[in-house]
Amino acid sequence: MEDFLYFFTFQDPSIAWVVLGITLLGVGSAYVGTFSFLDKKALLGDAISHAVLPGICLGFIMAGEKNPVYIVSGAFLSGAAATFMSSWLRRNTKLSDDTIIATILSVFFGFGIVLLTALQKSGNPEVAGLNSFIFGNAIGISENDLMLYGGLSLVIILVLTLLLKEFRLMVFDPEYGKAIGFPMKFISFLFNVLMILAVVIGIQAIGVVLMAALLITPGAAARFWTDRLNPLLILAALFSVLSGILGTYVSFVLPKMPTGPWVVVFLSVFAMISFLISPKSGIIFRYFARKKYLRKTHRDHLMKALYKANEEGKTGLNIEEIYQLYPYQKVETNQSIHDLVMANFITNNQSFIKLTETGISDAMRIVRLHRLWELYLNESMNIAPDHVHDSAEQLEHLITPELEALLEKRLNYPMLDPHQEPIPRPNKQ
Amino acid sequence: MITQVENPILEIHDLTVSYDQNPVLWNVDLSLPAGNLVGILGPNGAGKSTLIKAIMGLITPTSGYVKVFDKPMNDVRARISYVPQRESVDWNFPASVLDVVMMGTYGKLGLFRRPGKKEKDLAIKCLEQVGMSGFVGRQISELSGGQQQRVFIARALAQEADLYLMDEPFAGVDMATETAIFQLLQEMTAAGKTVIVVHHDIHSAMNFFDWLIMLNLHLVASGPKEIVMNEEMLRKTYGGKLNLLTRVTDLIRQKDFNPLKG
Repeated sequence: MEDFLYFFTFQDPSIAWVVLGITLLGVGSAYVGTFSFLDKKALLGDAISHAVLPGICLGFIMAGEKNPVYIVSGAFLSGAAATFMSSWLRRNTKLSDDTIIATILSVFFGFGIVLLTALQKSGNPEVAGLNSFIFGNAIGISENDLMLYGGLSLVIILVLTLLLKEFRLMVFDPEYGKAIGFPMKFISFLFNVLMILAVVIGIQAIGVVLMAALLITPGAAARFWTDRLNPLLILAALFSVLSGILGTYVSFVLPKMPTGPWVVVFLSVFAMISFLISPKSGIIFRYFARKKYLRKTHRDHLMKALYKANEEGKTGLNIEEIYQLYPYQKVETNQSIHDLVMANFITNNQSFIKLTETGISDAMRIVRLHRLWELYLNESMNIAPDHVHDSAEQLEHLITPELEALLEKRLNYPMLDPHQEPIPRPNKQ
Repeated sequence: MITQVENPILEIHDLTVSYDQNPVLWNVDLSLPAGNLVGILGPNGAGKSTLIKAIMGLITPTSGYVKVFDKPMNDVRARISYVPQRESVDWNFPASVLDVVMMGTYGKLGLFRRPGKKEKDLAIKCLEQVGMSGFVGRQISELSGGQQQRVFIARALAQEADLYLMDEPFAGVDMATETAIFQLLQEMTAAGKTVIVVHHDIHSAMNFFDWLIMLNLHLVASGPKEIVMNEEMLRKTYGGKLNLLTRVTDLIRQKDFNPLKG
């Protein structure tokens, strides 16, 4: 608890700096990453982030120490080389995209590890700090580093904000952009530069191995919640910043704990929550929507059974007769009876179930839709009368009043369905 | 049967287009008068879309050139509007109908500037013209194919151009909507605009177009509908593949380079 207060009240200015840095980094990478996710280039981010490792090592060798400018430049150049090589291979060979990405990723990362190992054997005491570039260490960032990484993040955020409509066009319809005279080649080149920069700014805090997660996961998680670009970008940035700060906190509290993996853990939690509970596309939401629908169909079927009993001259049905209609569904049947009594569609008098006045008119509507649809299938789609029942059983719950009116008109207000049963309508007063 | 005109709004000079080694359009040479509703007809794989894309400068021709308003394409893009095929984009992109139609105003806005109230009003007006005013805020993936097509047409209208090039704008559009949009296009041409439409239905082509271009890897005919629309031209356009041309294409493909490129 003490740690928590110490961290989040920002008494220590260096913590305030780190949090500010992580915030900028989170916004910048989520921003770029969301566009690359929408452009279906998620894997390219992964390849670039692995490919900057040799550049980091070469930058270190050139400077002879952990100089952020050398290291960032090295990382940028080696990321650019990887991006350039992958687009060159795409143009000049027949290799598929996934092959190219996998090759670039492993070749560059392998080379980077070779350099790193060689450096570690060289005995230079500064080398120890290089390891943090693999999995990231936000707490170890110096103020100088922060200026550089934060400044680059600001550049990314600024460029993307200024060219929002151009990047929107690049992802949605680049050919159209070309047709209205926008320099689409330059815009997509600029986007690649931003993408490499977004990787580079994260190498110290998150590390090269996991940087791709910070690029892609926020956008992917936010996509569950919204169908518009601007809210998507804001939400992605929010997920990213929160995960960044929480990850930094953990690596602050637990010594020697790398930041990157913890940021990814928190990001995954956000993604998992989005996947499960977001409305419309979340799986839990869909599960309940389906369950609700199934309960409605069960109620509709029960009403229909009661209506048919009325047609046969009975006033209602005994509960045992109803149970027999739906074998092995006693629980669901009791639930439906309960719901319908509450809705005042039926009465339950000592286990004898009867439709009420409102119940009769609603049941009549369901039966009418069922029989109208059967007739429509039979007459307009030439389906035999003994094949139409199942489809009608499913669609009677869906047909809207507008569609019903259309069916009535098309079929010219018919009296009988294909099984010669009457199509019931309320008496016109 | 090719009718050339004086002071053409669009001039295509000896245009040949190849994909990799493969020639898909041979020596197209035609000119179009202003203020016409022009249909491009031809069987599948005849090079209709390729012709439109070559006019727009989206693909570089192997030889020949295109002039619009007597100028190279890049000088007059602001006056030209383009409707790509519906399948060319991913409709799951997070955008509303209004967002997409507003893209039509980007060309005039230029880089950096954001669309504002004026652009929004224009976009809504264009949506009304194609009968989609009830869908302004709708997510684009929730639209039917025909509705998506109409959104693209509205986007093209929002460009307020003088020349419109539309690639299969009626694919997946129902008859009633097709007729309504054709009437809209006729109003536009009556007001002096030129509209070029890649189209697949000969029957409605007869009814609505003023001028027809018939393609089958090469230019079969270009001229006023009354002159061009006859049995001989239709047979030349749709009467099976041009056996000899296809065989030459095959021959070229087997080479490691394109002999048509100088």
